[in-house]
Amino acid sequence: MTAPRAVVDLRSFACPLTFVKTRIALERLGPGEVLEVWLAGGEPAESVPRSAEEEGHRVLRVEPLGERDVRVLLEKRAGAETGGWP
Amino acid sequence: MTLAEDRIARFARQLLVPAFGEAAQERLSRARVRAVGAGGVAPAALVYLVQAGVGRLWLDDPEHVSPADLAGWLYEQAAVGGPRAAAACEALRAFSRFCEVEPYPVGGVPTAVVVAASSPAQALAAAEAARRAGVPHVVLEPDADGGAVVSIPPGAPCYACARSTAAAGRPPLPGAAALAALAASELVHLIALPGAIPGRRLDLVRGVVTSRPTSRLAGCACGASAGGPGARSPSETPGDAPDG
Repeated sequence: MTAPRAVVDLRSFACPLTFVKTRIALERLGPGEVLEVWLAGGEPAESVPRSAEEEGHRVLRVEPLGERDVRVLLEKRAGAETGGWP
Repeated sequence: MTLAEDRIARFARQLLVPAFGEAAQERLSRARVRAVGAGGVAPAALVYLVQAGVGRLWLDDPEHVSPADLAGWLYEQAAVGGPRAAAACEALRAFSRFCEVEPYPVGGVPTAVVVAASSPAQALAAAEAARRAGVPHVVLEPDADGGAVVSIPPGAPCYACARSTAAAGRPPLPGAAALAALAASELVHLIALPGAIPGRRLDLVRGVVTSRPTSRLAGCACGASAGGPGARSPSETPGDAPDG
């Protein structure tokens, strides 16, 4: 598995900033590069990987980080930086 | 290019919109938008543009606030009789510290234009100036059924090719804020996501929106400086079929 290109610690943030900041971090990467995201357990740990998948990114791994938090590895999909508009 | 933390927090909901990311928000923050007309249906569009995060909004309106303007969500009773541009500046500045709202400076060079003019002739002149400057622009045409928004990215058929003729002069509905929001949404996307939307005309008729691609009138001067769709004759309706 490719080493993470960037790491963002979002454990102190709540929705919607957790995914907004994840999106921005992904936007700064190239296609195929990996982002490591640290999230508080509970709602952020569930919603951020799900939202990333809905936008076409690959969730490579979700694993515990300490007692309560999680570490998520996301692979940016090709073309994710250019979305469509009807 | 990085978006500051306070802007990420301020525009978080917009940054969640598919295809709308950091680069798009940065383009908005660098934009200088000239608003031609701040009365009638314009106020809802102006509020939208400020809230979306355009960097600078120039208000170009020589008229005074009338009692009828109070229906437009922006002006207070005390503003009636005063200069409309100054009153709009004061009201709009209260919405966001991320947008510089000023009267249009003589010689100012905008990067985008929204036209909510008080007359068809003024709308044509403002749209033509924007076309000649090569900047994206949208034109509002309120009418009794709702109205239309004409979106003109650089190189697209001009407003003269796509404007209404039959509905000109009808009084706007009180609910025309929907039309204004539609126009602002179009301009935001023309600025933030260049190339994402084509030249098109959105008709809002009794709550239903249809979108039609615009086409160039045969012999129109806008065809001399841009390629694009084939020309139609002046007797044809702009865009005979909805595009989807």
